[in-house]
Amino acid sequence: MRRKAILALGLLAVAPWLARAITVRTPQGSAEVFSRADLVDLAVLLRLTGAEVHFAAAAGSYSVTLGEHEVQFTPGGSLAVVDGRLTPLPGPVRLLDGRVVGSLATAATLLSPLGWSLRGTAAAPELAKVGEAEQLDVSAVRGPTGTTVIIRGTKQKPQVAAGAAAITLEFAAPVELARPITPEAELAGGELHDNVLTLRLAAGIELAGSYALEDPPRFVLRLARAAPVAPLPSPRSGPLVILDPGHGGEDQGAKGPGNELEKDITLAVARATAAHLQSAGLATRLTREGDETISLTDRTALANRLQATVFVSIHANASAARGAKGAETYYMSADASDPQAAQAAARENAGASPDTVQLILWDLAHVANLNNSARLAHGIQERLDALQSTRDRGIRQAPFYVLTGATMPAALVEVGFLSNPEEAARLLAADTQDQIAAALADAIAAFIRNPTPAPSPAAAPSP
Amino acid sequence: MKAVRAFLAVLLVVAGVTAVVLLARRRQPGPEAAMTPGPTAPTPVPGHVVLFFPGDDALLHREAREVPELPTSNAARVRLVMEELVAGSREGYAAALPWAAAVGAVFVDREGNAYVDLSPPPPDAIEGTDTELAVAYATTNSVVLNCPGVERLQLLFGGQQVATLGHLDFSRPLAPKLDLVAP
Repeated sequence: MRRKAILALGLLAVAPWLARAITVRTPQGSAEVFSRADLVDLAVLLRLTGAEVHFAAAAGSYSVTLGEHEVQFTPGGSLAVVDGRLTPLPGPVRLLDGRVVGSLATAATLLSPLGWSLRGTAAAPELAKVGEAEQLDVSAVRGPTGTTVIIRGTKQKPQVAAGAAAITLEFAAPVELARPITPEAELAGGELHDNVLTLRLAAGIELAGSYALEDPPRFVLRLARAAPVAPLPSPRSGPLVILDPGHGGEDQGAKGPGNELEKDITLAVARATAAHLQSAGLATRLTREGDETISLTDRTALANRLQATVFVSIHANASAARGAKGAETYYMSADASDPQAAQAAARENAGASPDTVQLILWDLAHVANLNNSARLAHGIQERLDALQSTRDRGIRQAPFYVLTGATMPAALVEVGFLSNPEEAARLLAADTQDQIAAALADAIAAFIRNPTPAPSPAAAPSP
Repeated sequence: MKAVRAFLAVLLVVAGVTAVVLLARRRQPGPEAAMTPGPTAPTPVPGHVVLFFPGDDALLHREAREVPELPTSNAARVRLVMEELVAGSREGYAAALPWAAAVGAVFVDREGNAYVDLSPPPPDAIEGTDTELAVAYATTNSVVLNCPGVERLQLLFGGQQVATLGHLDFSRPLAPKLDLVAP
């Protein structure tokens, strides 16, 4: 008896690791699909929907097409490209004995854009064509002012109720989750029961607003820290300049041949620039006062929250070309300032659902900011060129992360190359730092005090 | 003693079942084995590609080179271009990717976006805006120039979408940037 029990226990312990076939029910009947532990043969499962599955050996990726939809994924990866959009998978796709396998949750994520869902249990899953129930695809995006949760695939405006650590959304018409909710940013997770979607929030996070959007239809929740947010400043009598000393804390930035640290040079130049601006009567604030680690989004968020007039990020450059030298000034590229980004930023900056007029107004302001950023960058570069010891490397546009969320004219200046031994030594000298600071302050002050018409976009360098 | 015998019996059963499963699997190759192209590949068609590498002036410089085979599929061609970039310049330019990068998955979607997964750079491998610009645009310019139908490139690192390597926004596909190319 004891021997039989041990035997049974042993078999039970190893059973999940033995290859087996599970029966998957489909609208046409049922099919056997290879399975081991919690993994299933994805290619076979996907083909049961009528999709074409191809493996491109040269690219190392699988391509699944069904109708107008296309899904690509690769063994060893946890990302898929779904109809041109990068989508995280709940688990990695693997190769096992010549088969491409993944968990049932991964399979469900790949099936969803093809219009299929996976129901039932892990032992007896059922492939079902998506019917009348809307397929909710929940994702979260961290922005400069907090996390935005986007619920795609619904035209409904659910009843929203905010609790201490969760938000519930009650849908009037049937809904299903297209894929399990993955914890992301400040969204800790979530479940759907009887058309009620419960979203769990990270500690200290609460609902700041919700609204429905069209084209494509989706419902959006804005999350914010529950801790009292510093109130918006009362309207200022004058302009405010935000100077951003690049890097800081654990992020040392570039290093010179004598171990000169970019984070130290940017702070010294920013402090000196602030002193010059304050002498000229302009209110100035730094994104970091000392050797601190500050995220890129927090830097821009500070400028947005304080409704700054100008944002200038100060950096020192490095290049594999050791002879490279000179200053460069950048502003946001038009490519990174497309209408989608503008709309996303408009939503971020709107307390509630932005209407069309708000979006148009914001878009106009964004274009004006781009033109003004070009003017600011020209002014800065012109003065740095005037310093005899710097060589013009020009003004360029590039998709700088720290400039992405700025809602005011913004530029990023590289004051010189730390990778160039001569320039590194020069950048370390207090008098050089002060010369650069004076040039930056002069350019910023001139920009603020001389609001001349912005140059046409055609005059700006194109990406 | 009885317990030891019972344990040995379990081991024997497990070993037996495992052997049967392994043998069965060998006899029945998976469907993907059948999908993978066999050894009878078409005759390679030689071609040439134009790559971009950072020069002494920190601008990107063109470098043309012959390749023994120019694939017709875009995903394979993207991989080829990326592997040639990783191999480095033959004309003395600096490395486009300043670490021993390995090219992983390659995707090309219907919107003209290519996605390339690279092994992530070690800390301190990418210092300064110009180094990061070279990583972003040596790859993007090279891929877009050589792969018809590809308009943008997004680099992934270690199978993950990465917001930034310190300066630039890598969270979405980038269009080529020709003002970084030396005249």
